[in-house]
Amino acid sequence: MLRYEVKKVFSRTGSKIALLILTAAFALTVFLAVGSVEYVDEQGNSSSGIAAARRLWEDKNKWAGEINEDVLLNMLAKNREINASAEYLSSDYMENNKAYARKQGFSDIRDMMNYAFTAFREYDYYRVDSVTDEEVGSFYERRISNLADWLESDEAKDMYSEEEKKFLLARYQALKTPFYYEYADGWKAFTEYAPTIIMLTVLILGFPISGLFASEFQWKADAVFFSAKLGRNKAVRAKIGAGILIVTGIYWMVVFLYSAVVFGILGTDGADCAIQTGLGGWKSFYNITYFESYLLIILGGYLGSLFMLTLVMLVSAKTHSAVISVTVPFALLFIPSFLSGISVLSKVLGLLPDQLLQMGQAVCYFNLYQTGSAVTGAVPIIMTLYPVLFFVMLPVLYQVYRKTQIK
Amino acid sequence: MKMELDNLTKQFGAFTAVDHISITMSNGVYGLLGVNGAGKTTLMRMLCTLLKPTEGTIYCNGRDIWEMDSDYRRLLGYLPQEFGFYPEFSVQDYLLYIAALKGIRPAVARKRVKELIMKVGLAKEASHKMKKLSGGMKRRAGIAQAMLNDPQILILDEPTAGLDPNERIRFRNLISELSEERLVLLSTHIVSDVEYIANEIWMMQEGKIMHQGTAEQIIASMPVAVWECLVEKQMVSALTKRYKVSNLKTEPAGVTLRIISGEKPCEQAKRADITLEDVFLYYFGEKAGDEDVAI
Ligand SMILES: Nc1ncnc2c1ncn2[C@@H]1O[C@H](COP(=O)(O)OP(=O)(O)O)[C@@H](O)[C@H]1O
Ligand SMILES: [Mg+2]
Repeated sequence: MLRYEVKKVFSRTGSKIALLILTAAFALTVFLAVGSVEYVDEQGNSSSGIAAARRLWEDKNKWAGEINEDVLLNMLAKNREINASAEYLSSDYMENNKAYARKQGFSDIRDMMNYAFTAFREYDYYRVDSVTDEEVGSFYERRISNLADWLESDEAKDMYSEEEKKFLLARYQALKTPFYYEYADGWKAFTEYAPTIIMLTVLILGFPISGLFASEFQWKADAVFFSAKLGRNKAVRAKIGAGILIVTGIYWMVVFLYSAVVFGILGTDGADCAIQTGLGGWKSFYNITYFESYLLIILGGYLGSLFMLTLVMLVSAKTHSAVISVTVPFALLFIPSFLSGISVLSKVLGLLPDQLLQMGQAVCYFNLYQTGSAVTGAVPIIMTLYPVLFFVMLPVLYQVYRKTQIK
Repeated sequence: MKMELDNLTKQFGAFTAVDHISITMSNGVYGLLGVNGAGKTTLMRMLCTLLKPTEGTIYCNGRDIWEMDSDYRRLLGYLPQEFGFYPEFSVQDYLLYIAALKGIRPAVARKRVKELIMKVGLAKEASHKMKKLSGGMKRRAGIAQAMLNDPQILILDEPTAGLDPNERIRFRNLISELSEERLVLLSTHIVSDVEYIANEIWMMQEGKIMHQGTAEQIIASMPVAVWECLVEKQMVSALTKRYKVSNLKTEPAGVTLRIISGEKPCEQAKRADITLEDVFLYYFGEKAGDEDVAI
């Protein structure tokens, strides 16, 4: 019966079109993700693709290893040397690119240093150029003291409770230093474009999924369906099963293909580096590696998709309307982004299901939740809340649909 | 098989579509006759557990059908008035799916689907998509799905509506064939349908069963007579204003009117045999059926 339910879904033209659009959107996003990793050669020309990634990998991995004071001093020296070169000082941007070509091997370390040596909420791309050999040893301490200073600032003073402040500082202190560093651009590109891919998948899957329960009414096949022996029990379970199967199958296929292409071209090196070794993850208080972050992204994405699309099923079972239910994922994804400017809402927004589709970004947000003296970030909450809601929705969906009356 | 409707009522807001009906049915063919809006479909939907009554209960062999749940639906075959299906499914796939919905084991289902496809004359179309079938063929696929589980209770809502005369005759014959040893309830607003197939006729009006019995009983119960008279053309409008005229035939000598009336409507009028058509017109005040009165 499950097979027929899946067949019904994909017999609709809308579902077929949705799959085509998903394929096209997927190809485009993968293209952008892979293209986001650029290599600048000695002539100052940039390129992307397998060969470019390979050369960037070579350059960056010359710096692979523990980032201790020696490495930082070495980097500062290299940086100064390049800053003094004719290419760097030239006003021709192609010449500047040539200078950058020599810096890109340590560009990640440079970025971290810029963060470490500016205030918590600032970023100065040229800060590293004025860091002295004497102060470079305070690199790791500064990550913590920047946070401590900010937490005492007027801006943040009242934003967090004492327990929350303690929690953040403890997390920062718990991060293992010195960092282990190597080329990790595959993971970074994956993380950057994962929300786009996952959100597109959810939005587009909304179309076939919205028809699963509503189409019986549109086809007027409902009278035969609900008057059949199993129409109010097993057939309803088959529908729910088909929905979960379609979501699961397509989601993991997309994730698998996306991972395969991105890592196939950009490589999987850097899996064990902390996410704090990159520009995006520097401030995160989740002390995880790129590989752990990857697992979080794909699992969070799955839980989020399952939750949102089960909600689509529920709305379509209740309203009998594919049109209304297909808007559910759009609302869940776009309303939070409209509200994101309102800072009083940020705590609530941090717990909304769209966060699950962008776990790579969610681990960088500073939303904290306190019960008693226990403090936690949003990630563990949403990773348990939405699976629970998913399981709560299933019997509700079953009951709503099996009690359908035909008027 | 015994079905009892006990005080069955369905209201939509303040409007009563089915009005306190209490009747009993056993095996045989019941024809539910009534004009559009009489409440036939609503009654049938309740019998198919698609709609909960506002009041009253339906018992199947003494058990409440809503409590029986799938045990009751197992006995049921239903062809809805607006028969919908999965347009992209082939006839065969459609029937196999409905067989699965009815809980028929796959091996049995395959055999049964094959038999029924033959029986309803869709063998050549078995692999055609449902949406490609003609109106009559769709209806035949509809009766095939209703018959898949060899139902003890077969409910057909206006099964012949919209069919062309030939297709309608085929369809009536098919229903007659299929109606042995089960309880069949079919609704129609076309008198000749029930005349040919039904053993028992129920005339439904404004949610109530007004008259019931065999065709003969119902005809015998009519308190007035039917007359035929040949009149001149200019007389026609005066007579149609005064009497219910069930038929009107133009002939070289004038117009032959068929008049339903307790008194003799005019000098030359002769008593005629009462037909169900006349009864329908007498009780419901409008002409039975849209097409097909001649058949
Ligand atoms: N879902 C509904 N809501 C409101 N009124 C309805 C509904 N279904 C049917 N009716 C009304 O109930 C009456 C009986 O309808 P129906 O059972 O379809 O009659 P029939 O099948 O004899 O033509 C009609 O007047 C119709 O408008
Ligand atoms: Mg009707």
